Parts: sequence; C-alpha cells; structure tokens
Amino acid sequence: MNPVRVAIAVARKDLKSEWRTRELVPALAQFVVLALLIGNFGFQVDTRNASAIAPGILWFALVFAGLVAFGRTFAAEREQASLEAMLMTPASPVAIFAGKAMAATVLLVLCEVVLLPALTLFFGTPLGADVVAAVLLATVGMAALGVLFAAIVARVRARELLLPLLTLPLWIPFIVAGGQAVQSAMGLPGSYQEAMGLLLDFDILFVVLTSLAARFVLDE
Amino acid sequence: MSRHERWAAVAVGLMVVAGAAIFLYAPTDYLQGPVQRIFYLHVSSAIAAYGCFTVVLIGGLVYLRRESLVADRFARAGAVVGVVFTTVTLVMGMLWAKPIWGTYWTWDARLTSTLVLWMIYAGYLLVRRLADPGRQAARIAAVVGIFGFVDVPVVHFSVTWWRTQHPGPVVVNDALPPEMLATFLLTMACTLVLAAVLIAIRYRIETLSDERMHLAEEVKVITAPEPRMAP
Amino acid sequence: MTYLIVAYVFAVALLGGFLGWSLRRLRELEGPTSSGLRR
Repeated sequence: MNPVRVAIAVARKDLKSEWRTRELVPALAQFVVLALLIGNFGFQVDTRNASAIAPGILWFALVFAGLVAFGRTFAAEREQASLEAMLMTPASPVAIFAGKAMAATVLLVLCEVVLLPALTLFFGTPLGADVVAAVLLATVGMAALGVLFAAIVARVRARELLLPLLTLPLWIPFIVAGGQAVQSAMGLPGSYQEAMGLLLDFDILFVVLTSLAARFVLDE
Repeated sequence: MSRHERWAAVAVGLMVVAGAAIFLYAPTDYLQGPVQRIFYLHVSSAIAAYGCFTVVLIGGLVYLRRESLVADRFARAGAVVGVVFTTVTLVMGMLWAKPIWGTYWTWDARLTSTLVLWMIYAGYLLVRRLADPGRQAARIAAVVGIFGFVDVPVVHFSVTWWRTQHPGPVVVNDALPPEMLATFLLTMACTLVLAAVLIAIRYRIETLSDERMHLAEEVKVITAPEPRMAP
Repeated sequence: MTYLIVAYVFAVALLGGFLGWSLRRLRELEGPTSSGLRR
C-alpha cells in the first residue's frame, strides 16, 4: 500500500469524523478565547504592556489548546478499538502516524485561525505574514511530538496527566524559538530570521525522530 | 557482607577520600571564597547524571531492537540513579548561585536544561509506574528515554541562543589551577564509581523484583478458579 | 559559609540515604527468595 495514500486517507478519516461531530474545533476555539481572557487578567495587561506580554500569552494559549487537542487524538480510536484494526492492515505504522499528525496539524491551525485574530483584537498586536509563518512553522513540529506522545499514553492509566508531563519538555525548544520569532515579528528586539531558522531545524529534527519512533509506538 | 554491600563500602570510602581532598587539599578560591567548593561535587554529579541517562538511552535502544529484558532493567536502574544525581546537581547549584549571584535561580542555559532534564526523567519514572508492567511499559519508556536524551542538548542550545537575544548572568568557566583540577578529577572519578555501584544495586533490585512479579503471576495462574484453556 | 555546609550535607544525606535504602531493599529481596528460583 502506498504510504502517502495511506497517510492522506487516515488524515481524511480523522478530519471527516471531526467535521461530522464538530465538537473539537469549536471547543478549542472557545477555550483559546478563554485563555486569552485569563491571560489578560493574570498578567494585568494594559495598553502599555500589551505588546510585550501578548506574544507570551499566544504561546500559553496554543500550548493548552494543543494539549487538549492531542489528548483527543486517539480517544476515538480507543472507543472503537479501530486502532488495532488499522494496525492489522498492511499499512505501515509510519504512514498511519503521518496521517494522524497531518490531521492534528490541520485542527491546530484551525485553532490558530481563531487565536491570532483574537489576540490582535484583544491586545492590539500586529498580525502580519511573519507572525503567521512563525506560528505555522512551530505548529508542525509540535503536532508531530504531540501525536506521538498521545499514541504513547493512549493505553496507559492517567493518560491525561502523562501527556502534558511528557510533551511539554519537548515543546520547550519550539516555544523558545517560536516565542522569539513572534516577538521579533511584533516589533520587539531580536532576530526573526535566526528564530525561524531554528524553528525549521527543530521541525526537521523532531519530524524525523517521531517518524522513526512511530514504528515502535504504534506497533502492538 | 554481600557482593553489592562490599562495592558500596568501597564507593563510600572513595567519596570520603574525595571529601577530604575537597575540604583539606583544594585551595580556597580567591574571588568566591569557600563556597566555591560546591563546584566539585556539583559538576561531578551533573556528569554522573549524564552518564546514567546515557545508560537509559542505550538500554532503551537495545530494548527496542532486541526486546532484551536485561537492557530494560539497566534503563530502569539508570533512570532512578540519574534523577537522584540530577537533584543533587540542581540543589547544590542553587545553593551556590545564591551567595554568588544573589539569587537562587536564573534562566541561564545550563540551569534551565538541567531542570528540563530532571523533569523528563521524573516523567520517565512516572510512566514506568503507571503503565502496565512488562512490554508496554518498557517500550514506552524506551521512547521517552530516547526523546528525553535528545531534548536536553536541544533545550540547552535554544536557551544559549535565546540568551544572545536576552543577555543575563551566565555560568562562566575559568581555567582551573592545577590543585583544583586534580581535586575535581578525583571527585568526578569517585562520583562515577558511586553512580556505577548504585546502578549495579538498582539493576539487581529490578531483576529480583521482576522475578518476584513473575512468581506472583505463576501463583495467580495456579490458584485461578477456572481451568486455563490450552492455546 | 552556611551555603557550603548545607549543600554538602544535603548531597551526603540524599546520596547516602539513597544508597542505604537501596541496600536495604536489596536485602529484603534477596532474603526470602532462597526457594531455588535463581536464574
């Protein structure tokens, strides 16, 4: 079976089932807006400090939304034991993993479609192509890691606890570089190019590693 | 005295020798004063911790390749000993930072990545505790251990780079006078011996625990009410 | 310097305590398993 076809088929299935129930994305969107609200009060944001604090609030909101989204990635399969069924087909586990990672990326991007304009609305931050590019670039790597670890904890007790615990340390490099990229794009000091370069490097590193690991994780 | 107890005695003896060197032989630092002596065990612990996590890495890789139970037990042993040494590193580091920089903590690359290191392997230990023991736990842990090992230098690198954008206090490495270097090398060697002995002891503990569990499984089968179906 | 003392006392307590606890656990495990189940 052609792995690319498999990956796309898996991605389609995930997105279609999400479209049918339409529960995750609206919930995430609401969640993201609430996170911004909390950010506003938690950080005591006013017109003077808004531009300094807003980039940070973006990442908090994204990380929380990401954890919720990835927590759900394998929930449907668990409920129907369809993961085992998928794995019994000749489809390669890496292709299945790639498909799920693609679907998760799309869902996260939809979340960002709400997050970024909301951020601009509430905190007056600029919303240029450079901000969007930085967030998208970080999303790819974070999605790959999120899906891998969601698969890892899918069959463990207390998976809701373990997922953040295992995934967040691995997301730190993305938040460091992504945070810097968004900050620079929003006019604060720092090198945008260097940050984007780092994000790209991290994406490549972790996409490769997660693909290699998928074989062992999805292979029961 | 069992074999492991003898090794432990040797390791403790060596640490006492190192302690003597640290407090009696090594000269007092001109700039920082006596508190600088923290450096010897602090850095040695960090190196020992990295050694332990390398054991976890290799154990994990071998396990994924060959499903070797021996490899998995070494990984388990390495992880717990590594977390202990990382704790020592972090706490000693904070107690050194306070008198020197005036603060217990600063977000410099080395402290930050050591903290991340601790979090990753504490997570590793938690996963082992929560996953069903056996193949599932070993596989998951192997992947976590491998990713964790890669993540730490990546985090270190990102924070170092980040510091170029946001300068702040940095841990500086001055050249060491020969007596200090000698003391450090001695302490490092003794600490590594201690780490090795601890891993050996924990390995034995894991092996015996595994056997106990296996035994418990067999007893469960024998005393189960329904007859077992032949496969 | 107090910091120096506290640092080393902590390290010795943690490492020594961990060593001692592990040895005790090892003793417990090695004791009753003398029913010939050695591999």
